[in-house]
Parts: sequence; structure tokens; C-alpha cells
Amino acid sequence: MTNSIQEIRDADFLLVIGSNTSEAHPIIAMEMKRAVHRGATLVVVDPRAVWMTTISEHHLQIKPGSDVWLLNAMAHVIISEGLVADEFVTQQTENFESVKAAVKDYTPEAAEAFTGIAPDLLRKVARQYASTPKAGIYYTLGITEHSHGTDNVYALANLVLMTGHLGQPSSGMNPLRGQNNVQGANDAGATPVFYPGYQMVDDPKVQRHFEEAWDCELDPEPGLNLNEMMQTMGESIKGIFVMGEDIVLSEPNAHHLEAALAGVEFIAIQEPFPNETMRFANVVFPSAVFAEKDGVFTNSERRVQLVRQAVAPPGEARQDWRILSDLAKAVGLDWNYESPAEIYAEMAALTPQFKGISHERLGEIQADGMTGIQWPCPTSDHPGTVYLHGDGIMRGKGLFQAVTYRPPMEVPDKDYGLFLSTGRTLYHYNAATQTRRESGPVAKQPEAFVEIHPRDAKERNIQPGDQVRISTRRGHIDVIAIVSRQVRPGCIWTPLHFAEARANLLTNDEGDPVTGTAEFKVCAAEVTRLGEGKDLASIFRGNYYSTAGPSQ
Amino acid sequence: MSPTTQTLLVDGHVVELRPGDTILNAANRADVSIPTLCHDPRLKPVGACRTCLIEVEGARRLLPACATPATEGMKVNTESERVDRHRKTLLALYLTDHDGTQEHGQGGAPNQLASMAREVGAPTDWGQLPSKRRGSIKDDNPYILFDPDQCIACARCTRYCDEVESVTAITLAGRGSETTISTADGISLLDSTCEMCGGCIDTCPTGAMTERKAAEVQAPPESDLTKVRSTCNFCGVGCQLDLNVDPAANDGRGLVVKVTSPPVGTTSNDGNLCVKGRFAYEFINHEDRLTTPLIRDADGVLQPASWEAALAATSQGLAGVMERHGKNALAFISSSRCTVEENYLVQKLARQGYGTNNVHQCSAT
Repeated sequence: MTNSIQEIRDADFLLVIGSNTSEAHPIIAMEMKRAVHRGATLVVVDPRAVWMTTISEHHLQIKPGSDVWLLNAMAHVIISEGLVADEFVTQQTENFESVKAAVKDYTPEAAEAFTGIAPDLLRKVARQYASTPKAGIYYTLGITEHSHGTDNVYALANLVLMTGHLGQPSSGMNPLRGQNNVQGANDAGATPVFYPGYQMVDDPKVQRHFEEAWDCELDPEPGLNLNEMMQTMGESIKGIFVMGEDIVLSEPNAHHLEAALAGVEFIAIQEPFPNETMRFANVVFPSAVFAEKDGVFTNSERRVQLVRQAVAPPGEARQDWRILSDLAKAVGLDWNYESPAEIYAEMAALTPQFKGISHERLGEIQADGMTGIQWPCPTSDHPGTVYLHGDGIMRGKGLFQAVTYRPPMEVPDKDYGLFLSTGRTLYHYNAATQTRRESGPVAKQPEAFVEIHPRDAKERNIQPGDQVRISTRRGHIDVIAIVSRQVRPGCIWTPLHFAEARANLLTNDEGDPVTGTAEFKVCAAEVTRLGEGKDLASIFRGNYYSTAGPSQ
Repeated sequence: MSPTTQTLLVDGHVVELRPGDTILNAANRADVSIPTLCHDPRLKPVGACRTCLIEVEGARRLLPACATPATEGMKVNTESERVDRHRKTLLALYLTDHDGTQEHGQGGAPNQLASMAREVGAPTDWGQLPSKRRGSIKDDNPYILFDPDQCIACARCTRYCDEVESVTAITLAGRGSETTISTADGISLLDSTCEMCGGCIDTCPTGAMTERKAAEVQAPPESDLTKVRSTCNFCGVGCQLDLNVDPAANDGRGLVVKVTSPPVGTTSNDGNLCVKGRFAYEFINHEDRLTTPLIRDADGVLQPASWEAALAATSQGLAGVMERHGKNALAFISSSRCTVEENYLVQKLARQGYGTNNVHQCSAT
């Protein structure tokens, strides 16, 4: 996020795109609700009528995968109607001409065929966004989990740059992080291309810096990203070490992955609960959960916050950092960490943006009743950074990146006639190893389901509550049908949380060419009826995504 | 202070006026404490409970500090014989409808009415005139308990549900002394639009809205629990929460008996939590937890093993792959669920220990 969470309440225009905020980020949704109650304009762009559309001024229910068309057409309107922030563009950006040329033919009228959005509405939203000073964009995986995810992000950034909505409170570009510590895991260098603090592994100066610090030789070649690891599993990848992820449940095209894991010679995992990946593991280490360890998580707004041990781990389970230290010693490395504070201090000393942060300082802030420090924080007396680009754009000039529309890797055809999208719900979390052991989520949402539009349901003779099968070219799962106008005709949606109905048996592992992120959000699927229905109201009690909906 | 600055006087302190100020806000800035029950900074003021009535010079009646705009030159007295008499009378009346000896609601939630009555020295001998307030006895939701005997109908819970969470699951129902908190038609919270964020519990001043799980295990009063401030482990918002721990429970391992949110205005979540952050902590102490290392035996079955054996097997397993196929046949998958320090160690292990940059985590997905 370039802005902070508490700035959301003061925004006057919020463009929420590819984010089911009230379910995936409920507390950020509360800030958005507060802004709307105050009089802000909320526009939601989503193929589904997610809860936030109940309080939005406009819902742009676009066709899945048509984001680039929509965003380029908005850019087209902003440019052609003279709404560009000329001074900002001239002084703080470069390469605007390329975008200007690229979006020339992306008229709202041409966009309609791809997006399904009326040209007048698109124009209105583009004008509102461009002409409201405190306008923020909020997005999540609905933008990035596409084969053109990078293009989507560039297209959004182009809007931000051409309107100058950057470097001010409540006005910026805000990806909302999905996991508690996505930001922190990347900050810490758990990526194939960066050392801690986004220092490139193929930069010789950086390499020497870390070789000296760690007293070893390092590889200048970037490694494989997660999707590449999964695709080469069992072929070139022969040994894996997994900490705290259920790859078999969470990664796309799971049948392929399961077959590939048979070709892996050694698998070690560390996990607090049994999971699907454990079926393939040679060694399993029992690990501690967050309430049993010290450390820090870094949230979406780059705020580094303490995690503190409240209870002891059960049995012989150990904290992940202890397991890693023990393993390092077992393989002959000279690691002698006594505490996470010590580990953090080592990392901070190697990374300019975290240098001013320490467990000690975070503890003092907490003792004062406040919380965390937002990086960049270069020195121990630096207060942290509330919003980015405040002193001008960090890379010097904001770079426009022209993008052109590419269709999703797989679109509906005569065999698989529906667009399938997957996502999260309020009540469960990721592989649900935690939340399916909780009474509330289980009472509200005990089983997997698919949302299907009444027209598509009728064509397939499907009644609400029927048992149905979702099939794609990669696999099939059996779920309960919720016949619902939350989804567009021709589109279905299913949650990713349920081990017995793994959405990732269905999804496409074709990735974005830049990031490798797989196309979880769009693939071609078909739904067939299996059998007699159940009473939906007794299974999904009080569900907003019910069978009822506005008649059409 | 510039000459154009507007000010008011609160108990003799000069306070700078800010746009939209109420008397309560201005007094808080001067560190003058005014008792409140129905006030929550997240909600629009309603002036319902009358505990914050104070004197304003020139005003005939006492005025509610939470709902009265502060104005230039106003002279406010928050402590006077008249204000004191009002507080004692008001709280004594509240106590006729509530058991003032109960310092805690069910499950140990603090009862501000009882503590305030004690501090003010309100009479407790005015007899009992209990209202006919009723709760929804059929509610089978696992998390939220409503105890009508503790309720003062201040409507903080229903206003929170409307104004902050915006799902409007609960409402004031009934009239007069029978006014109570209910869902529409008295259905279970599970069947309503409630998303079980528990904000009603957080905002309730008397413990009438409370954690059902803590009540079921008859948790000790919150003041006797150890509050450990930590960061939520679910989504990327990074809400701060207090794990309320009974350190002696669970054979001395300690047990999280409830999760509460830090005070409003202190952390990014502003006192709010969602269903997962506030209630999904049963997994910590779940019987399915892995408690010993496991090694797959010759028959392909995972068997319990010692730490030494599991660490040695892993060290050999990874070394064997490297010998046979080279260092880049190894892949290290870290986790955005784990701490920054743990992620740092995984990438350091991959790079320093095995010389490979094949390290990533699920943020790519």
C-alpha cells in the first residue's frame, strides 16, 4: 500500500477492483464503510456482486479477465477529456506518450464488447476518479491472479500516474495483502530474485555484501519462483523443504502436482497441523502457531508489528525459527540464535530500509499503547513512513507502462461453457487448517459450494442446493449449488478452502510471464447435476450470498 | 497559540477548539476525564445514558458532554456539587435495575457501570426494580452471548452493528423498560446478517454482550488474566489483538480464553476485529496439533521420531539430493504465515547452506 489503513476513512473516492474486501480484509472494509457513511463515493469493479456492492455508488460487473480493456478505456477517457494532471505528469513521470498511443483505440464503446460495461458509466467513473483529489485504488488478487496480472497492475498504475493520485494522504495505489505476513516474507528475502530488503541477487555488489556477512559463496543466478518450482517438480526439482504451506491444497492444477511429487526424492515439512502435503513428506516437524512464538509480521501498510508468545507449544512442537536453527546446526552451519530479536537485528543491519527497526524499539512503542513502525525506517530515530512517494516518486520518475489486452489463457468453449473464478470467504482462511477447526466458521459455512446464475442453472436442470460437479480440463470437484445472481450469467465461483473439494484441482497453472503467478481467477469449466438437493438455508445459515437476489 | 485561535475553558484549563469538537473531545485533550457509558469514539454521539452531563456556564440545565458541540468562550465545569449529585442519583437509579455488586459480566467481562457507581459513591440501597428485559434464548450461535440482566439499553452494540460493521444484524426491540437487544424477528444470530465480528462485545460497557466461550468455561475476570498484545495471524491487515491468557490452565502451558481488541484510537484496527481475529483461536489448543516429529519408515508410514533423528534425516535427505542432482534440484518453500525472522532464516538456509536461490513462498499465488 502506498497509503495507510487509517487514511482510507478520509478518502473521497474509492475504486475497489478485484477485491472482495468485506470478506478478505474485513477491517479495511470497515474503514471503507466509514468513508462511505461520511459521503465518499465507492465504485466496485468485480464480476461478482460482492457485499461491498450493497453500499457502492456503482458496481461495474465486468466480464472476467477484461480488466485491461476497462482500465485502458478509463485512461482513454481521462486523456481525451483533458483530465490528465499535466504538471505531475511532466515533472514526475516518464513514458506517458507510449500510454497515450496505446490507449488511443480503447474507446469506452469498443470496451463494452469485452467488459460488458456501458460506455456512459465507464466515462462517469473515469471522470469521478480523475477529478476527485482524494482518490484511492484498492486491489487484491482479482487483479494479480491472471496470466495478464502484471499488465493489470501496470494499467492501474497508469491511471494513478496520469491523475497524479500519489504521494498524498488517502490518494494512492493500494494492494491489500492476503496473508498476515506476505509483505514481511518478501521483505525478508524469501524470494528467488531478492536478498532481504529487495536487494537483487544478480547485483555483484549486493552479492559481495551478503557473502561477507554470511561468510560463504552465493549464487548470482536468480532461482525459480513458486510456480516454476511447481511446474518442474519431480523433473528438475528433486528435494523440497516446506515451512508452513500446504502446497498440495494451495497450488493450481493439483492433480499434476500430486503426480509430480511422486518423483521428488526427499520432502521435509514443518507444520502445526496435518495437511494434504504431509501425505508426501519424508520428515514432518511439528511447529508452533503464532500465539506460541515471538517475532514480527509486516502488514499491508508496511507496518512492522510484534508477535508475542502467549502460551507454550504443545508436546514437542517447536517454533519455526528454532527448527530452522536446529536444522542449520545439523547441516553444519554456525548458527546460534537465541531469540527472534537477534535474528531481526542481523537482517536489519543488512537492509537499509529496516535499519532503524528493532524488537526493542517496537516494544517501547507498544508500551506507549501504540503499534509498529512503517518502513522505510533507515535510522533508529526515524519515525517510519506513513505514505510512500511523499517527497516525490521513489524511483525518480514514475514510469508509465503501456499495456495491451490479452485474453485469459483459457476461455469457455463448447465443452467447458462457463468462466470459473475462485476466491476466499469471510469465514475461512486459505487451506482452512485453522478455521475448519473453529465452531463459528463451521456453523456458518460447513461445506464447499458453487455460485451459478439462475439462467445457467436452469439450462443444466440445477436446483438450489443440488449436489453438482464442477469440471475443467484438469480435474473435477463435487459441491453444493447456490443458484445466485451474485455471479454474471456464464460465470461461476467457488471458494478455495475445502480439502474435500479442492478448487485447485480445477485451476490453471499457466502463469503470468513476469511474476509466474498462476491464473487462479479465470478458467473454463462446466457444471453438471449429480443429485438431489439439500436445504440451503440450513447449511449456509444467514448467508448474504443466498439464492435470493434482485429479479432481473 | 495564535490570536485567531478559538478556545474554551474546561475546569479552568484553556483548550484550543478544533472543528467538530464536542465538549467531551475538548475535555479529553485537556486530560479532564468525564464518565461515559453510551459513548464510543467510533460511533455518532447519541447522549442516551446521561452519565456525561456537566455544567456549562449560562446553560440552565446540565448538558451531555458527548453530544454538545464545544463553542468559542464556553466555560465548562465537569466537577461540581450539582454534577456530583446528578451522577450519584443517575447511577443509583441504574443500580435498581442492575446488580451493582457484579463487577463482571458472564465470562469475566468488565462491568463499567458497577465500577463507575463505586467510584462515584452512588447509593446502592435504593431497592430493586428489575425491568422485564428479555434475551433471545434460542440463539445457538457459538460466539456471542447476550445477558439481558446486564444490559442498560445504551445501544452501543446496535449502533456499532449499523455504523461500523454496517450489517445491521441487531436492533433495539420492545418499548420502555422492556427495551432489549434482538435480531429482527428474534431469529438466531447465525440466521441473521451477523458476520460475528464481535464488535458488539467490544463496545458493550457492562458485559451484557460477552464471549459465549469464555462464559461456558467460566473464565476468570479479565483483570485476573494475562493480556499479551500480539498481531493477528490471518489476513494482511495486521490487526493488533490481546490474547487473554490463563497462565495456569492447560497443565501450565497456558490457555487463551478470549481475544480482545486494544483500545479505540491506538492501533490500525481502531478497536475492531473480524470473526477470525476475535474468535478463531480454538485451533491453538486443538487435539489435531502435531506434537512430535515424524519420519516415514520403510513401509511408507509416518512414525513418531526424536528431534535428533528427524533433523539428521532431513540433513541427509537434502544433502543426498544435492549430491545426486546438484544444488538447484532443491527448492525451499517459505511461508507468508510465519514471521519475518523465520522467512529470513529459510532464505539464509537455502542460500548460505545450499547455495541456491530456489526460495519462495505463496505470495506468488
